[in-house]
Amino acid sequence: MNTSRMLGLVMIAPAAIMILLFFLMPVVLTGVFSMTNMTTATGISGGAYQIAPHSLNDLKSTMPDIAEQMAQPRYAIDEAGMKAVEGLGLDAGIATELRAKHIGDVFQTRREAERMIKGLDQRPSTPDVKKISEQFNRSVVNSRFSSKEELFSALDTLGFKLTDAQKDSVADVTYTGWNWTTENFSRIASSPDMARVLFNTLLYVALVLVLFNTAYAMLLMIWTHYMPSAPATIFRSIWLLPRITPVVIYVLMWKWLAWDTGFISVLMGKFGYPPKNYMLDNAYNAWVFVVLINGFIGASMGMLVFSSALKAIPKSQFFASEVDGASRWQQIRYIILPQMRWPILFVTCYQTLSLLASFNEILLSTRGGPGKATEVWSLAAYHTALNNYAGNLEYGLGAAMALVLVVIGIVLSLGYLRIFNYGTLVSRPLIED
Amino acid sequence: MAEKSQPSANYSTWPVILALSIVSAPLVLMYAYLFIDTITDTAAGSLIPDSFTLRHWRFLWETPAGKPNIWLVTLNTLIFATSVTTVIVLVSSMAGYVLSRLNVPGRGFFLAGVMVLHAFPSVTLIIAIFIVLQMIGLYNSLIGVILVKAAIDLPLGIWLMKGFYDTVPWEIEMAGVVDGASRFRVWRSLVLPQVRPGIMAVGLFSFLTAWSEFILPQVLAPGSKVQVLSVYLSALIADDNNFDFGTFKAVGVFYIIPVLIVYALFHKYLMNIYGGGSKG
Repeated sequence: MNTSRMLGLVMIAPAAIMILLFFLMPVVLTGVFSMTNMTTATGISGGAYQIAPHSLNDLKSTMPDIAEQMAQPRYAIDEAGMKAVEGLGLDAGIATELRAKHIGDVFQTRREAERMIKGLDQRPSTPDVKKISEQFNRSVVNSRFSSKEELFSALDTLGFKLTDAQKDSVADVTYTGWNWTTENFSRIASSPDMARVLFNTLLYVALVLVLFNTAYAMLLMIWTHYMPSAPATIFRSIWLLPRITPVVIYVLMWKWLAWDTGFISVLMGKFGYPPKNYMLDNAYNAWVFVVLINGFIGASMGMLVFSSALKAIPKSQFFASEVDGASRWQQIRYIILPQMRWPILFVTCYQTLSLLASFNEILLSTRGGPGKATEVWSLAAYHTALNNYAGNLEYGLGAAMALVLVVIGIVLSLGYLRIFNYGTLVSRPLIED
Repeated sequence: MAEKSQPSANYSTWPVILALSIVSAPLVLMYAYLFIDTITDTAAGSLIPDSFTLRHWRFLWETPAGKPNIWLVTLNTLIFATSVTTVIVLVSSMAGYVLSRLNVPGRGFFLAGVMVLHAFPSVTLIIAIFIVLQMIGLYNSLIGVILVKAAIDLPLGIWLMKGFYDTVPWEIEMAGVVDGASRFRVWRSLVLPQVRPGIMAVGLFSFLTAWSEFILPQVLAPGSKVQVLSVYLSALIADDNNFDFGTFKAVGVFYIIPVLIVYALFHKYLMNIYGGGSKG
């Protein structure tokens, strides 16, 4: 065993474990959860079996008589009931006789049970009979069983004679946990809401990417290139502020700008326009703000990438072109832009993925509104699975929506790996021991 | 000097500065008012503040009903950000060295994996992570969200550290090995001091992103005992009954000041990372 290999394995283990636990496992589990109908109602661990009133209603259509019987209480002479009778403080002989003769018996109705109790040799009084029978009142309605076996044995002790097929259908309707299903995907494919969300997502990514991450970033790069370095540094710092500002504060500032008591409202008020919430007033405005909010953050990455690519262009090219009388536009068109192909591709690839997945800014600014006008895919998944007004969170459906993004993410990032030529990045270690 | 700082003396620069000033105006305005509004009062319908006040900063010494104490929240944020930073720096400085220098099986595969994960939009995994944390009982705890945040930022950290290790000359290590030091000793005593700028950069970047992180604590640890500043502020803004931009902005300034200080002092280290592709 060579030492560097051993050391390497030890040193990389923490990273490997963390990536395994918090990346690979969630990727797999997103797939697993997407095949279930988990919701807040079913819970996330396995469910229990509960014969609730609504499950009896479900049973009525298939097995009316059994559902009818289950709805009624039965009287089972069992150990728990015997204990309760002994605790009533009646004549001890009653309990002893009852235990000796009838333990394990089940009576379909109260009347039958009481007739049996009256018939005991000890002759309990009528109020005592009522008290005693009450101790044996057993109903399956609303009782919870943690497994199928418990449910079936409870049904057996209460004297329900069910075939295996009937048992299974009882188990099916009373199960409160989640099931395996592929319904999530058919719901995504067929829902018109989803189509709308998909359209929003594409529009959002395209607008931010084209207008800000590339075009506006390019403009910033060129502008800061054609000015002295002191103001250029100041402007670059200003445009980096949105990226380093915590997103909650950043969006708060935009809200202040657009709110009905905010800057724009007050400013427009000076010209006689009534105040309104410019961000959520209508869908068109909401879109403008969503694109601006994300675009101002996104522009800085392109600005830095393009600026460093610009630095790599030999200064002599600019000097030579000036001597030849080139205008600024000609410099941009023939010197700068041809060098920007790879940086643009890099920024586009990188930002497409992060725009597809990030929903912080939209969540904090418009919450997908007004209505669902600015709801994008990742936000819709968040709303479905983790936070909505209805309160029933559909983990399964949300996971299925996230899975769509996960698959796109994996495919695209694998593709980028090929484009950006990963092979040159690994070099062989020079020390072999 | 003028020739050096200016690409060309043949073109006038003022139209460019003017154009950029105009498009930057909204940003400058928003940040200026962020600070001004916290210590002034403005009459309704006016844009110019008319009186000085400290009442927006009340939240520092009095805790509103139903809200956690601001100092507890700040402490939580500090614990969260420093723990995430520590984990990322420790783990990625080890893993980066392995990927750069050591001969382990599956090294190329791991490196490719790190690259894919770096580009991969990890926030899509939040639903599965939420369910997992609930199952293993780390939901609503700082430890859970620290581990998740550290793991999510880890690929970038490993990738950056690998880059810094790549620039260290092999001769340093060879000299150490020839002198009889173990590979671990060589890493610890000879190589690690060489990549101090890398550790600084990764550490600062991790601290800033953790300090700013919103969606992970919001989903994975929303409870009032483990709340961090981003969740606290967003809850404050979402509360329709007490709508007061002055207070929101005061909390915002309180929250952003450490970020601005770190950025002002160390922006040289950070510039490389932001240019190299951070998410957003």
